[in-house]
Amino acid sequence: MPTENPYLLFDVPGGQLAFGDGDLDVWAEHLAWCYRMMGIPDGSTIAVQDYGSSPISFLGSSLLMPGLRRGVAERFDGRFICLDASAERVTLTPALLAQLSVDALVIREDVLELLSAELRKKGFADLAQRTMKTIVVFGDEPPALNPVRLQPSRHFMHVESALLLAPQCVKCDCFHLREGFYEVDGRMIRNLRLAAPPYYLSRGELFGPSHCAAGIHDWCIGWSPRGRGI
Amino acid sequence: MRDTTSGCARNDLIETLSGAQLTAWQTGRLREVTNHAYFDVPFYRKLWDRAGVEPGPLRSLEDFERFPTISKHDLVEAGDGWTNPHQGPVAFSTRGTSGAPLLVWLSAEEEEAYIQPTMRGFRWAGFRSGMTALLMSPVWHRLAACEAHAIARLGGRCAFFWGSMGSEFTDSFLHTLSSQRPEFITTTAPFLLSLIRGSHGATNRPHQLFKGVRSVVVVGLPLTPRMREFLRDRLEVEDVFERGGTQEGAAIDECRWHTAPHVHEDVCYLEVLDDAGIPVAPGSRGRLIVTKLSTAGSVFVRYDTGDIAAFAPGQCPCGCGFRRLKIYGRPESSVLVGDRIITAYDVRMCIEEDPTLVGRNVLLIREANARAGVLTVAIEGEAHDPAKLQARLREQLGVASADLVWLGDLRVNWGFRQVLDGRELQLPRS
Ligand SMILES: [Zn+2]
Ligand SMILES: [Zn+2]
Ligand SMILES: [Zn+2]
Repeated sequence: MPTENPYLLFDVPGGQLAFGDGDLDVWAEHLAWCYRMMGIPDGSTIAVQDYGSSPISFLGSSLLMPGLRRGVAERFDGRFICLDASAERVTLTPALLAQLSVDALVIREDVLELLSAELRKKGFADLAQRTMKTIVVFGDEPPALNPVRLQPSRHFMHVESALLLAPQCVKCDCFHLREGFYEVDGRMIRNLRLAAPPYYLSRGELFGPSHCAAGIHDWCIGWSPRGRGI
Repeated sequence: MRDTTSGCARNDLIETLSGAQLTAWQTGRLREVTNHAYFDVPFYRKLWDRAGVEPGPLRSLEDFERFPTISKHDLVEAGDGWTNPHQGPVAFSTRGTSGAPLLVWLSAEEEEAYIQPTMRGFRWAGFRSGMTALLMSPVWHRLAACEAHAIARLGGRCAFFWGSMGSEFTDSFLHTLSSQRPEFITTTAPFLLSLIRGSHGATNRPHQLFKGVRSVVVVGLPLTPRMREFLRDRLEVEDVFERGGTQEGAAIDECRWHTAPHVHEDVCYLEVLDDAGIPVAPGSRGRLIVTKLSTAGSVFVRYDTGDIAAFAPGQCPCGCGFRRLKIYGRPESSVLVGDRIITAYDVRMCIEEDPTLVGRNVLLIREANARAGVLTVAIEGEAHDPAKLQARLREQLGVASADLVWLGDLRVNWGFRQVLDGRELQLPRS
């Protein structure tokens, strides 16, 4: 069912997301749930290096979007740092991390290499690795382990066109497809809360409900850990 | 035009104040802000105690001028001492092209204050209820975060393209433009220039995609009169408006007369000072000093932006009593040549006297020989009449000599930058 009277439209790779009244809070609540599954506690300062048209950015706080009553910052009673993901901005991140201690840095996989290089150049790589959790956001498959990059503490699956947000669980290490938000049919994953095309999972292993106590009704996606950053 | 939203009452009221009434109102706000800063932000207390000023007896703008100006360096150094208990949950970074970047905080209360002038600016630029606006990324800038709120309150829809403001995202922008058919656009001038140049030879010329767009509001560089015409004619849009502001709280918007952007006097108090710290007369250039008229968010009192700006003399025909300010250059858009500060704006004015060169991106290059009075300018595209241009640059800007670098088709990620270090680019020399 298409969204009624959408007042916010976001073009994303491979599709479009349209939000009407009340939709944003559903997804901000889900995003907050994802962070909790990845072990981020209340009161955290979360920095996001992603484009403004990504929900991981624009659901960060009610200050960023009209009609969003409580964004992630408000739900965590925490703080949200907008970093954008353009190359120009990524080069500023080391100096910002030196000014402010951040609990979690959420970063798109495609700019992780650039940030890692900048951190090394400025001599902050070890400090960053010690003091914050790095959450690496990928699309279809988690990236292979790469020793020259900042080491991820968690991975976060985000398929933009399907608004598929699946966190890597601290308990089972798999990626949870939250009950009530996604439905699994064969290898098709359907969004139950927003009009978006289904996503076909081409690789990875699917585990049915009761795989993990952290979400007993959730499906889980697992990737073989060999060669991966997990 | 009266809006039905409640917040606009204050908004409309402030626009009708006479000069003296506005001054009195701003003085009251400055007293409140300085009091808050003195008691709640240790950095200011220490600074003002040392300078022997206190906010209690602040009764006039002259009293306020006794407060010391501060720089980004001071705030970076101050660290936690600059923290405001009401600074809010969201931070943005200022650009770091001149030294270290600074994190600037935004709170709900402060944003509420800034949404009002954003709505005012958008109304001036022709936004009406029912329109769709294609907006900049909300995480790009503190002021950009206010844009979607303003559009929603004015009864519009917001559309966002995928990506950021670099030239690698112009296709993504054009895609959203053609699928959403917005009547109103906010973007950066360098982005539009890249888009126009990038579309040479394309089957879909930009003006076809801009069909139906009434207003384009641009930030990122001061528009020259010829650049405004160029953008309007190439894109075939009704009008192009300059919008400006700094993460530190300055907010300015043009009305339809385009005489110079009006300062939103209800959220910021702006000053233009000479190097000795004395206010300069309207029409003369000086350094832009920003004070935010809010006790929420990061507190900026007499912050020296390093920007080169001038108030416009006289009144605007639109009747709005807000002063008008043109920001000519930021530290990152100017170079020191000999003992002169040359802004990208001034260079562009010279270049654009040649109609062939209007609309090209221009970069000033910081080179070692600048000290000896050599201005180095890189210009997009092929050479055109270089000898005449060099002569114009020498005469009008008073530099000893001018080196030109023609970039041809070299793709540069323009962003907001208008100055590059000579070592950053492998430049073809003419
Ligand atoms: Zn689990
Ligand atoms: Zn599991
Ligand atoms: Zn006017």
